[in-house]
Amino acid sequence: MMENRRALWPLGLITALVFVLLYGPILVPIVSSLFLVQHGLVDWSQPTFSAYVALATNEDILSALTTTLVVGLSAVVLSVAMGTVLALYYHSGTGRARAVLQFVIFLPFLMPPIITGLSLLIFFREIEFERSLITVVIGHTVFVLALVYRTILTRLQSLSPSLIEASYDLGASGWQTFIRILLPNLSSSIIGGAILAFALSFDETMITLLLTGTQSTLPVRLWAMMRLGFAPDINALVAVILAFTTLLCLAAVRFLIPKDLLKVGAEV
Amino acid sequence: MSTERAGPDRLRPLAVASAAYALPVFFIVLPLATFLVYSFFSVDHGEMKFTLTLVNYIRFFADPVFLPVFWRTVALCFAVALITVLIGYPVAYFLTQLRGRQRYLVLMLLLVPLLMSYVIKIYSIRAILGGNGFLNRALIGLGIIDKPLTFFVFNLNAVLLTLTLLLIPYAVLPLFLALERVPAALKQASADLGASAAQTFWRVTFPLSLPGVASALSFVFVLAIGDFLTPQMVGGQSGFTFGRIIYSQFGTAYNWPFGAALSVILAVVVIVAMSLGSRFDGRKRRG
Repeated sequence: MMENRRALWPLGLITALVFVLLYGPILVPIVSSLFLVQHGLVDWSQPTFSAYVALATNEDILSALTTTLVVGLSAVVLSVAMGTVLALYYHSGTGRARAVLQFVIFLPFLMPPIITGLSLLIFFREIEFERSLITVVIGHTVFVLALVYRTILTRLQSLSPSLIEASYDLGASGWQTFIRILLPNLSSSIIGGAILAFALSFDETMITLLLTGTQSTLPVRLWAMMRLGFAPDINALVAVILAFTTLLCLAAVRFLIPKDLLKVGAEV
Repeated sequence: MSTERAGPDRLRPLAVASAAYALPVFFIVLPLATFLVYSFFSVDHGEMKFTLTLVNYIRFFADPVFLPVFWRTVALCFAVALITVLIGYPVAYFLTQLRGRQRYLVLMLLLVPLLMSYVIKIYSIRAILGGNGFLNRALIGLGIIDKPLTFFVFNLNAVLLTLTLLLIPYAVLPLFLALERVPAALKQASADLGASAAQTFWRVTFPLSLPGVASALSFVFVLAIGDFLTPQMVGGQSGFTFGRIIYSQFGTAYNWPFGAALSVILAVVVIVAMSLGSRFDGRKRRG
């Protein structure tokens, strides 16, 4: 493929341009969060942390942040528990019913979030279940379940069956095999899936918007604030959230992607 | 010991199976079924009528308001999908040409923005495109224009542009996976038989990457058409899309059955788009 090398630099140029397009919009609020904004104009003369100070004392945002964390952690715990059970169940046999079950789990992830959100909204109204943080948690769990399930199942399928057979042969019960053999082998995929699920939940807006009662999560709060206009502490908040999600992303990658991807890289 | 375990062991598969089915059925299947049934209810003078009727679907096709918005949204989202694929293809190709750590790094850099807050990205893009935004100020500063352009803010152009910027990485991924699956042996064979790099690309690599193009198109299209946040935030009065109409039925218009019917139509479009994308993909992959 040597002859492709010459054609490579315009492609690299396009890629570089795409990175400008992807990261440019992210950098703008971060940079402006460090300077004073007055009457829509940025004072570039000296950097300041005043926006961050304003943010740290904004009760509204702090409570939205707490809500987001509570929802995210609950959704992670529930989706990991369900995802593990579902992955083990799917893996333990074959049949049409299992395939249908898997399809059902994937539905909320494949369908537009507005459909998942609306169907739950209507359902909760029909069974007369008040909109609250519980409905938001259920919505998030249903939404991230497919992802957690998929990451765990992928690892499960790559495990050698002889590992489990050996455990049974040595006299371990099903539960012992799960705790001592399966769980340690699945742990990195469970942690990776949990981080990804948390990141998705942290950012979920459309489902939350439809299912929330009086309390709102950070993205919903941000959405409401941004529709009204621009405020300096939004920039600071944006910078903090971006830093946090980047860390989450890197952590998820550390647990999930490196092995497979570096393998691909080495094969080439 | 073994006799004691026989009881629970026989019960366990049943318990696991019911646990596995109960929650997905209760929280996924039942809500979707309720939602489907709701689309056949109606609202009369602000009151719900629980008799099955096709009135919502008839209204969608008969009322002159909804179909034009629907087609305009479909066209808009297809345009977004097409542009992201056109931009994403060279990027994906470039990625396949990189090796080891380099490839890993560039791929990572493409993936990181996916996990970054969606709302924030819309907000920032609006800040850049807006009348008082960075783009306009830069253009004025450079003396290219002397009055802020309103071409990019609060209309369908803004929706198109914002969605495109947001969804490029989603196009690159399937394209990259498809391009990577093109066997190196075929490309070498083509070169050995005297084809130039361009000939090899157009006759071998490009046709074999078409399944990836199909899945990238359907992937981006589905994400774009399901979004109502972007049009709501950057669309303004003239940037009305199908998603916004659905959302408004559950808020200001307060006609849930009609909103449900519109969502069912959206679901049908999404299913068609996904099956078109995956049919093309599945047939080629097995070959």
